[in-house]
Amino acid sequence: MAILEVQNVRKVYTTRFGAHQVEALKEVSFSVEAGEYVAIMGESGSGKTTLLNILAALDRPTGGSVLLDGRDITTVKESEIASFRRDRLGFVFQDFNLLDTFSVRDNIYLPLVLAGIKMKEMEDRIKPIAKRLGISELLDKYPYELSGGQKQRTAVARALITRPRVVLADEPTGALDSKATDELLKMFSQINADGQTVLMVTHSVKAASHAGRVLFIKDGEVYHQLYRGNLTNEALYQRISDTLTTIATSGEEG
Amino acid sequence: MKGIYYPKLAWLGIKRNKQVYVPFMLTGIGMVMMYYIITYLEGSDALYQMSGGRQLQATLGFGVNVMAFFCVIFLFYTNSFLIRRRKKEFGLYNILGMGKWNIARMLVWESLIMYVIAVLGGLLSGVLFSKLAELAATRMIGLAPTYQFSVSLKAVRRVLFLFAVVFGLILINNLRSIHVSKPVELLRSENVGEKPPKVNWVLALLGVLVLGAAYVLAVSIKEPLQAMVWFFVAVMMVIAATYALFISGSVALCKLLQKNKKFYYRTNHFVSVSSMSYRMKRNGAGLASICILSTMVLVTISSTACLYFGKEDGMRIRYPEDIVLKTYTLDENAVGALQALAWNVVSDAGEQIEGEVFYRYLDVIAERREDFIATNDITLGFSMGTTSTQIDFYIVPLEDYNRLTGEQEELAPGEVLLGVSRGSDYSYDTITLEDWEPLRVKRVVRTLPPNGADNADIFASYWLFVPDFERYAAFYQGERLESLPVSTYSYYGFNLSADDKAQRLIVSAICERIGRAQIEDEAFPHVWVESIAEEREGFYGMYGSLFFLGILLGIVFVFATVLIIYYKQISEGYEDRAKFEIMQKVGMTEREIKKSVNSQVLTVFFLPLITAGIHTAFAFPLIQKIMLLFNAVNISLLIWTTIACFLIFGFFYIIVYRMTSRAYLKLVS
Repeated sequence: MAILEVQNVRKVYTTRFGAHQVEALKEVSFSVEAGEYVAIMGESGSGKTTLLNILAALDRPTGGSVLLDGRDITTVKESEIASFRRDRLGFVFQDFNLLDTFSVRDNIYLPLVLAGIKMKEMEDRIKPIAKRLGISELLDKYPYELSGGQKQRTAVARALITRPRVVLADEPTGALDSKATDELLKMFSQINADGQTVLMVTHSVKAASHAGRVLFIKDGEVYHQLYRGNLTNEALYQRISDTLTTIATSGEEG
Repeated sequence: MKGIYYPKLAWLGIKRNKQVYVPFMLTGIGMVMMYYIITYLEGSDALYQMSGGRQLQATLGFGVNVMAFFCVIFLFYTNSFLIRRRKKEFGLYNILGMGKWNIARMLVWESLIMYVIAVLGGLLSGVLFSKLAELAATRMIGLAPTYQFSVSLKAVRRVLFLFAVVFGLILINNLRSIHVSKPVELLRSENVGEKPPKVNWVLALLGVLVLGAAYVLAVSIKEPLQAMVWFFVAVMMVIAATYALFISGSVALCKLLQKNKKFYYRTNHFVSVSSMSYRMKRNGAGLASICILSTMVLVTISSTACLYFGKEDGMRIRYPEDIVLKTYTLDENAVGALQALAWNVVSDAGEQIEGEVFYRYLDVIAERREDFIATNDITLGFSMGTTSTQIDFYIVPLEDYNRLTGEQEELAPGEVLLGVSRGSDYSYDTITLEDWEPLRVKRVVRTLPPNGADNADIFASYWLFVPDFERYAAFYQGERLESLPVSTYSYYGFNLSADDKAQRLIVSAICERIGRAQIEDEAFPHVWVESIAEEREGFYGMYGSLFFLGILLGIVFVFATVLIIYYKQISEGYEDRAKFEIMQKVGMTEREIKKSVNSQVLTVFFLPLITAGIHTAFAFPLIQKIMLLFNAVNISLLIWTTIACFLIFGFFYIIVYRMTSRAYLKLVS
């Protein structure tokens, strides 16, 4: 059953005085099944960030609908959007977005505290997650004391602790070195193996090669998609590279 | 082309950062204006020609220096916000190929532009408002206003000079801070990851203790004179404690709240408490400054206002009757002659004498040691370690007491009535003088004979009403007079139905007649003449000028407070913007964010005001006692002026809050 269904989503940006219209997304449709690990790839300006913002209910589409568990998030009332987002979606950002004023523990607790969860429950939830992400020892440290990889793992923990339907990751490896990138991607695979649905936006071939399915976006449309099937990460990497080359050259010809 | 490049760049820099530069310019203009007005008044001819005006000018002469001091402090303070904001821009210029020398040239031009704007704007408004201030000043000290308009070149020169120095210093400081920094640091200087605030428990605890001690001190002091001396100690303690508490105490409190998990992990408290500890770490010193400035405004204005509005009462205490003639004799014949003289003068002037007061007394400077009044081996004056035991000791015949009060008191030999001045107490049954038998105190009375000189000095006074006055007079006038500061007086005071002008004429006529009488008759005593009408101008001048200076300083302090608040809000706004974006992404609703922001801003904003209120409340007993020394005995007046000041100040404060929080919210959302 599809957790997330994106149907004919369109997004048009209008310049301030209405003189120019820019079509960021033309006609985007796809769906994500429960437990899937989907990567969305595209070059800068292809519209992938716009798409993610719409999926995260941070932005509203000009047309089309986004169904999460059958409910259209584009019609959720403004006043409910924050709690809707908090309860059903987890976010991982390129620049971590941790709050300097909170310790690691408090950063992870943040969405739960906002949701009014009991102290006991929060403590029960954080333990396994921190252990799985290898940050149990770091819980009382502050963001300024952490490396990039540790910060991103904290952010992942924060995304997971609400037990979201979908984790949305926006270029999660963008600010990490190669070692931290490998670790993080391994963790995403593990999380996904435990049944967590993950949707990742990236332009890193390596990051995408860990996914179960890769969607390619170009000029605001879903241009192509690849399924992993039985391929290893390395083989998928090769396929993605080939596809990107094809997209790039076909763009030149067209 | 090249010549105009730097001024243009400087001007663009100012324009681009107008959000921080406009308040800076306004500060500059305001400071120049206030400084010009004060220097103008201090040298104003119109004021100099009036005696109350000269009093005001003397007070303002002191005010000019205070003003100059605060100009430097405030401009430096506002500049520190400016330069912090602009460092990034300078870093960018540097990376784009501008050398530090070029940036320095631009800064010089900027300072020059700011100087010109501040001085021109300030002088213009200063000249406009100086006449208004002069009118207000003359009105307040009770003089007739003059309506000619003038500009004081001397004041202009002083303004130009002072502010050239201040802006020069600021420029040098800015150049130094640019010079020592590296371009990459300049670029990033605005957002370096911040460490969580460390709690200095010792300092926090010390703050609580010192503040508590200061409060206890303030409420426990009984004697006015002690109050005067300890007031400054208490002020120092409160200032130190306020800084300690705002800097460490607040962070400590946040940490304690964070430790209480039940409290901390709640939607309403979570974000607020943790950000508050950072906010307080950054702003503790600034908020403490606001708090202390506010307290100063409140204390200064409320006490000077109390003096000013209570000036007629104060005068009546110093001058209980319109005219007082004091002779240094107990000879009733001499006093009778003097009385006749006064009657003649008054009736010649066609006026009436109303309410005469007459009594004789001995004035002994003594020291009270429990129930013993010592006149030998006493330490005169007052120092901080000792309690003030020096007293004014008066001895008055019982018959004079009965006449004054209309009572029919009778005393046996060895019995006395004891009168005790305000603020003192006497709880013994007997009182001992010299090596005599102890005297039995029949009653302690509170109605004392009117005596302005006694009211005016700072020592507590004790009045002994005795049935056998001659014995005391003989003793103190005879064998002891040589070695002791004992004086004998006959006090004769009366009121007149005439106005001040007529009263002044009467007084000079009386003085002239006395002079003549003294030439004609060598036995005619020396007379001390006091007239309320003659003193009124000087009195009003003094209290009026104190109040006027209080208001001027109050305006400056309010100005400073407003400014600190504004910059605080703006700089916080920039810092908070990023934070709130994150919170929104993590799932905080806009309403929750607004609520949290509001509660934090409110706390940061009103904490100083509330603390200032508490400080003032605790300072009140001290101030009230000090006011006694200035003959302001009207407690309810002091209470009302204090409350009124607090309300007016709070009103301005809230207006500023409204204005700045709008600017803040615009930055954040």
